[in-house]
Amino acid sequence: MITTRRYFVKLVGGAAVAAGAGLDAGPTRAQAAPVKLGVLAIRAGIAAPVGTAGLRGTEWWLERVNKAGGILGRPVQLVVEEESNPKDTVERYRKLVLQDKVEAVLGGISTGVTLALGPVAEDLGTPWLSWDGTTQKGVDETMPSPKWAFKSVDNEVEAIVAGILTPKYFKGIKTVAGIGNDYSYGHDCWESYQAVLKRYIPDVKFVLELFPKLGVTDFTAHIAAIQQAKPDLLMCSFWSGDATILMKQAAAVGLFKTMKGVFTTAGGVHDSLKKEFTPEGLLLGYNTMYFDDPNGSALLRQFVREYKAKYNEYPPYECDHAYFNAESYRAAVEKAAGGGTTWPSRAAVVKALEGIEVESLSGRRSWREDHVQMCNFYQGLTTHKNPYDFVTLSPLEVVSTRTAMKPAGAKLFDWINSWKI
Amino acid sequence: MQKIFNLACGSFYALGAYVGVSAVSWYTSAGGPAALFVLPLALAGLAVGAIGFVVERGLLRFVYDRDEAFQLLLTFAVVLMMEDAIRLTWGTSPQSTSALYLTYGQVRVLGATAPVYNLIVIAASLVIALLIGGLLTRTTFGRIIRAAADNREMVEALGVDLRRVYARVFTLGTALGTLGGALVIPATAAMSEMGIELIVEAFAVVVIGGLGSMRGAFVGALVVGVLRAIAISVYPELEMLLIYFIVIAVLVLRPRGLFGGAAA
Amino acid sequence: MTARLVLGAAVVGVALAPLVAPTYHVLLMLPFMAYAVVLLGLNLLFGYAGLLSFGHALFIGIGAYAGAFLTGPLKVRSLEVILLAAGGLGALVAAPVAALCVRYVKIYFGMLTLAFGMVFYTFVLKFYRLTGGDEGLPFLRPALLGWSLEAMPKTDYLVGPYYYYSLAVLSVAALCMWRIVHSPFGLCLKTIRDNPAKAESLGIDVTRYRWLAFMLSAVYAAVGGALLGPPTGNVDPTLLYWTHSGNIVFMTLLGGFASFFGPVLGAFVFIYLQNWVMSVVPYWRLVFGAILAAIVIFAPGGLMGLAARRRRPMRVSGA
Repeated sequence: MITTRRYFVKLVGGAAVAAGAGLDAGPTRAQAAPVKLGVLAIRAGIAAPVGTAGLRGTEWWLERVNKAGGILGRPVQLVVEEESNPKDTVERYRKLVLQDKVEAVLGGISTGVTLALGPVAEDLGTPWLSWDGTTQKGVDETMPSPKWAFKSVDNEVEAIVAGILTPKYFKGIKTVAGIGNDYSYGHDCWESYQAVLKRYIPDVKFVLELFPKLGVTDFTAHIAAIQQAKPDLLMCSFWSGDATILMKQAAAVGLFKTMKGVFTTAGGVHDSLKKEFTPEGLLLGYNTMYFDDPNGSALLRQFVREYKAKYNEYPPYECDHAYFNAESYRAAVEKAAGGGTTWPSRAAVVKALEGIEVESLSGRRSWREDHVQMCNFYQGLTTHKNPYDFVTLSPLEVVSTRTAMKPAGAKLFDWINSWKI
Repeated sequence: MQKIFNLACGSFYALGAYVGVSAVSWYTSAGGPAALFVLPLALAGLAVGAIGFVVERGLLRFVYDRDEAFQLLLTFAVVLMMEDAIRLTWGTSPQSTSALYLTYGQVRVLGATAPVYNLIVIAASLVIALLIGGLLTRTTFGRIIRAAADNREMVEALGVDLRRVYARVFTLGTALGTLGGALVIPATAAMSEMGIELIVEAFAVVVIGGLGSMRGAFVGALVVGVLRAIAISVYPELEMLLIYFIVIAVLVLRPRGLFGGAAA
Repeated sequence: MTARLVLGAAVVGVALAPLVAPTYHVLLMLPFMAYAVVLLGLNLLFGYAGLLSFGHALFIGIGAYAGAFLTGPLKVRSLEVILLAAGGLGALVAAPVAALCVRYVKIYFGMLTLAFGMVFYTFVLKFYRLTGGDEGLPFLRPALLGWSLEAMPKTDYLVGPYYYYSLAVLSVAALCMWRIVHSPFGLCLKTIRDNPAKAESLGIDVTRYRWLAFMLSAVYAAVGGALLGPPTGNVDPTLLYWTHSGNIVFMTLLGGFASFFGPVLGAFVFIYLQNWVMSVVPYWRLVFGAILAAIVIFAPGGLMGLAARRRRPMRVSGA
């Protein structure tokens, strides 16, 4: 085996344990050959921190799995490639499958990219487990019954959760303004949030919507427009550094002194939301993992501790998506092997993945039968009462995708309008 | 002025922003008084402008006697390298200074609340614009620059060492870019792709103002800034497109820009 | 003579590749052939007319989106129709853009083309009901010469019929371009490049010739763009982003703009180099930036220039 920089090989511990772990059947030499998993991670541009977090989550999983003897006695090796634009990423994906001969591919964040990856994964017949990318066009599924593609939670779930929680925490909201990035995620979140809120507050008025380009770093003019519109509440679906910037520039003019705020996704950059400029009492979404969950498992606590020690940051939710994908793949392989040590076929692995439930960082998570991630969403009101220099949540709300994600095959807005409230 | 269209100007701006964050966090952790944070910020921004000297001496000077397209390509190479160099140094997470932005408080101006820091930056940029204007019109150096922009051979024939002039002009331009990046950072966050994003807006500014005109660049910036603000509050959908439409309109109706004279 | 031998060997090599090379490398040849068509056009503008466009990704995008519209909502699957439509649409958009841009030369021309590219990029991103915004549009599998080939697995389709189809398109494009640059029109362009004032005094309508060169290059870029779509199966706005324009200029320079086949070689080397460097170094942009800078400074003739210098020290133009 040639070890180049492209393989983030962490074999030393894994191989040693693997050698000693063959208690039951004693893996043959062929069995002990490492199993390769492809990883696609964004490395540059606005989503680079998200890609980095996903890769870190996967590497942490890798270390644990290899320490525990790998999968069916085979140590695991990652082949990491960059997710960039759809064209190049499709090429990288083909390289992983055709050239590196990986058993499965993990990763994929940007919907533009994963929409292109979905059909390619189906064509190449290798399991693909997407961290955070769906094959939704807007809020409509384009691949309702895939065989090889396993997709992330629907993009708009965080906005739906926020829509459900808004009337619970903020009373007397009559007018709402929205700001989101000018691409499908921003628009879809805003549409979904409006649809949900209208169910709870039928006479609510949406007075302003702003869609700055992704990557804009100055919101002074936007904030001025929001002030002019004088809404009771501002809904914001920013998820990157722009959330921090908006918060800072809003604080400079005291925006949240006169209105409530809902940040559906800004928990992705939670540790940059410093107390000095982030007020208490905003509704803030952490997506699928909350690092400071008081009911968090021992696994979560260990992960947060080691992540902080290694990177001097507190982990965002993308780590959990990535960990869940890798861990569910491991569990599916072992389930498909049925207690034996023979490596199962790829078709058997994808069959085993359907409906499987495993312990992830954020708790139990599963794959729905139609290959969509199921999990919990963590949102709550921001508080300064914590030992950190940034805001955390109290009270904390946990909403399952079972209530906040459209069921398989459903049309989003029909489904929202069919709720009994 | 130098007839270099620098694709890397955005990268320099981003670099200034990152260095600004580092300088300010170093300053704060060293216990410097918060009220004076602007000083280390501006100094760091100016100092890192030295990268301009390196780029000019190390790369650009080799291609002055060739087609200007090669300069464009070299600056594109700098864009590519700088993006990764920033990631290598500062990682992928956005970097921001904590709450120093709010140190100076807010004032009410014309019925709106504005952070004092914004006013400081506006004042600073006015001063810089005046200084540059003075430099170009009142000093020998400025006259040489303008003469060189018009007729390089003639200036050289008169015994001026244009290489040194170019090195200085480019370094000065870079330092202004990095200083700009450093000065905005308290109000925003540094992200590695901000350079690539900025270039297009910078371009719009220059075209609207007129290629090669300093006054034009200043007016162009004002036009772009104000129009964007108006578009956002009147019809947000138009925001960026409006700028482009104006660029095209200017090109069709006044190909040399509002203040241009140096074109083609 | 040697040049012909090398060219012949290259064509045979490309034609045989699907039979001998690993599937993945054959697949990488598809973007190579698509870019080669784009670059033949781009180099008419840069190498022969002396105008460096930093916005040709615009026309790649137009070709790709034309294909996506045709295969999707308009239900036209024939690749012949798609390529014609892409070229036509490219020309349609290029006509006014070129008219505005060729009023300038040198660096100003580069800036203007970049601006137009970004106008269309913003447009594509903004009007997402029409264009799919950031999610783009699917480019469904086109039928080749009337054969639908829908039942074939996608990879077999790509490394088989589609591969040879692309090769044929590239060959035809190269032949046409060869005729163009060796026609009186091509010679006029070179005169304009080297001495516009003299060309003018010889009675050449400089602006008109530049405009025509721009139009031709836009048509080539659009056709190449349409070829780029099916392997990815999706088209998206990053195809129009200004850094994509930068990349294709990079390819041209890497191969050598002074030679007819230089840009084609550049596309080939760029794609394989990128494929390799991306896997080995996470910071591949740093490596590529350094390579670009080195070429610009030390080997402005690109790889073809280096090869020519080794053979004949004084040779300037390869074509």
